[in-house]
Amino acid sequence: MNAVEISGVSKSFGSHTAVSDLDLSVPEGSVYGFIGPNGSGKTTTIRMILHIIHPDKGTIEVMGKAGTRAANDRIGYLPEERGLYKKMTVNRLLLYYATIKCMERKDAKEQAEAWLERMGLIEWKTRKIEALSKGMAQKVQFIATVISRPKLVILDEPFSGLDPVNLDVIRQAVVALKEQGTTVIFSTHDMEMAERMCDSIFMIYRGKKVLDGTLSQIQQQYGEDTIRMSIEGDRGTLNRLPGVMGVRDFGQYQELRFSGDPQVIMKQLMESVSVQSFAITKPSLHDIFVRIASPKEINE
Amino acid sequence: MNKILTIAFTEYGNAVRSKAFIIGLLAMPLMMGLMIAIPQLTKDKVDVSDRAVAIVDFSGEIVGVLESRALMRNENEIFSSAAEGEERKQIQPKFNIERVDTTRASREEHVLQLSDRVRSGELFAFVLIDENVLDSSGAEGKTAYHTRTPTFQMLPSWLEMVINERVQSVRFEQEGLDQTLVERITKWSRLERLGLASRSESGEVEEAKKENRIATFAIPAVSMFLLFMMVMSSAPALLNGVLEEKMQKIVEFLVSSVTPFQLMMGKLLGAMLVSLTLSILYLSSATYIAWDNGFLDLIPTHLFFWFFVFLILAILIFGSMFLAIGATCNEIQDAQSLMFPAMLMVMVPVMTWMPIIQSPTGTFARWMSLFPPATPMLMMLRMAVPPGLPLWEVLLGVCLAVGFTLLIVLAAGKIFRIGILSQGQNASFGRMLKWLLSK
Repeated sequence: MNAVEISGVSKSFGSHTAVSDLDLSVPEGSVYGFIGPNGSGKTTTIRMILHIIHPDKGTIEVMGKAGTRAANDRIGYLPEERGLYKKMTVNRLLLYYATIKCMERKDAKEQAEAWLERMGLIEWKTRKIEALSKGMAQKVQFIATVISRPKLVILDEPFSGLDPVNLDVIRQAVVALKEQGTTVIFSTHDMEMAERMCDSIFMIYRGKKVLDGTLSQIQQQYGEDTIRMSIEGDRGTLNRLPGVMGVRDFGQYQELRFSGDPQVIMKQLMESVSVQSFAITKPSLHDIFVRIASPKEINE
Repeated sequence: MNKILTIAFTEYGNAVRSKAFIIGLLAMPLMMGLMIAIPQLTKDKVDVSDRAVAIVDFSGEIVGVLESRALMRNENEIFSSAAEGEERKQIQPKFNIERVDTTRASREEHVLQLSDRVRSGELFAFVLIDENVLDSSGAEGKTAYHTRTPTFQMLPSWLEMVINERVQSVRFEQEGLDQTLVERITKWSRLERLGLASRSESGEVEEAKKENRIATFAIPAVSMFLLFMMVMSSAPALLNGVLEEKMQKIVEFLVSSVTPFQLMMGKLLGAMLVSLTLSILYLSSATYIAWDNGFLDLIPTHLFFWFFVFLILAILIFGSMFLAIGATCNEIQDAQSLMFPAMLMVMVPVMTWMPIIQSPTGTFARWMSLFPPATPMLMMLRMAVPPGLPLWEVLLGVCLAVGFTLLIVLAAGKIFRIGILSQGQNASFGRMLKWLLSK
């Protein structure tokens, strides 16, 4: 069964089409990554899944319920723009957010304690939100999202602004949710995180679905058209090689997008520079993202 | 419903735990207490330094009386009444009269010279009494009082009183009239203000009671102003709350768990609980004070019931309005301009209560109190004025107000639903109307 089933959904705001004829199935228990440039329609799609806004056309079924907010108590949502009541204590805030999800107070208290312990915030439970650091507040917001044991968790940019330690804490918590069978949808601009964590990836661009599938399925669409190498010498040579469609220089290594025979490329390369490493790979998600939504594309 | 209650109780908890609530709770009794206490505490703190006043009496008939009366006053009338053995304390300044020789200079020269003396601080004031001030034939003379401290009222009032007493006395003598006799026959007959007489069930005539200013004026005014205060302490707070949730980006998280209508109703209910708590505390205290001072029977019991009915209606009406405005705005500056018309509506009862309390059954009073936004406060005011209002009129007001409340809550709900998630759009009544009329 799918946790989310979106069929033929469109949504416009005035003359701007935010989402156009979208079909998407998010299987239960999966971690589904939503990627796309800013303003491409990710948040609108998420808001429609939550029935905060309604589609102009099409249907959205969430955990078997179509067109109602009936499933919302089983959804945990971490919005991109986060905010907490600054004057509330951590405990009261978590209890409030849990009880508006129809959770029993006693259960909510136990869950709050357990999550605060796990996130290293237990000694802050009686402090006001305004006393917390940004990272702590983000962890509290994450707890507020998952405290009611939702079946579906939607995280909009969950890792933005976190330091590596807190990022790892949240990442582990997301993995633990998946292990418990929770469906996780998260939108992110961090392609490496999406590659590492997501079972499937969905990319929306200008309101339209442009990618949907597992990482390997997506990479398969693009084939092995990338050479990752490390060279010593004039890097300008790379652009002059036959069949090369694009070069990205990361300093320590370079990536070429090519068509044709890689052996020819390697041979010509070795004539002009010293090659330290040479590997034919599939394009990274980051690369695919940039190919689809490069400034050239955006400005078209 | 559970979600609405959860929001309501949380909002209530947040409100009653805040410093603003404690301050608000204590503010009214504190202000009333200070208004009573400060005059009591400061009544002895008046400036009792002597006030020297020069009298230029061209009539020659008055200055002598002023001198003797001032002497008498300075010896007897400017002290607090002292208990036995206690030293009496001066609580008013002495008035020292200085007689000016009228023959030494012209009137203009007197005015200039004495003005200089006032400027130098030698004198506090000076008075010029016209020659014909005692003339009762119609060519009335004037008395001019000059000072550079016009706010000090005690001296000119005393001078006016003494001069006029003397003038009257001389005029009576001139006309050959016995002043005591004139005073006796021109004495006013006092008007006693009474209510209505009635016949009891046993047939006995119950005499009309004397009008009591507490019952006829204080109770209606206090009831209305307490409602006004409750609205003023709740409705703008609701606006601020929503605005904070929008500005702090809390609202998107909330509306993923509850519908905007549930959120709005929870907030309204929370505000209502806060107002009920405050009202119960204030009314309990007022009732105790009334009982302690023996005028509890002046407060009709049914007023308490109606007070709470009108309080609920007032909070729903104005709370919805302010919530809708809060949801429309993106920052506090937007709210200030949009709040003005809503605030004006809250103020209507305060601007019209005086003519209404004087004629509570008049046409103006009736129509004003049937204007739904004003109904809670003005109907409360009218029905608290003895003997009250016919029940049909109260019920009509309540029905209209309930109908209006439903409309305003639904309209506000729609504006709230759209506005709460809108960002970066200019807040205006036009936009609110557009949202209201949208599908």
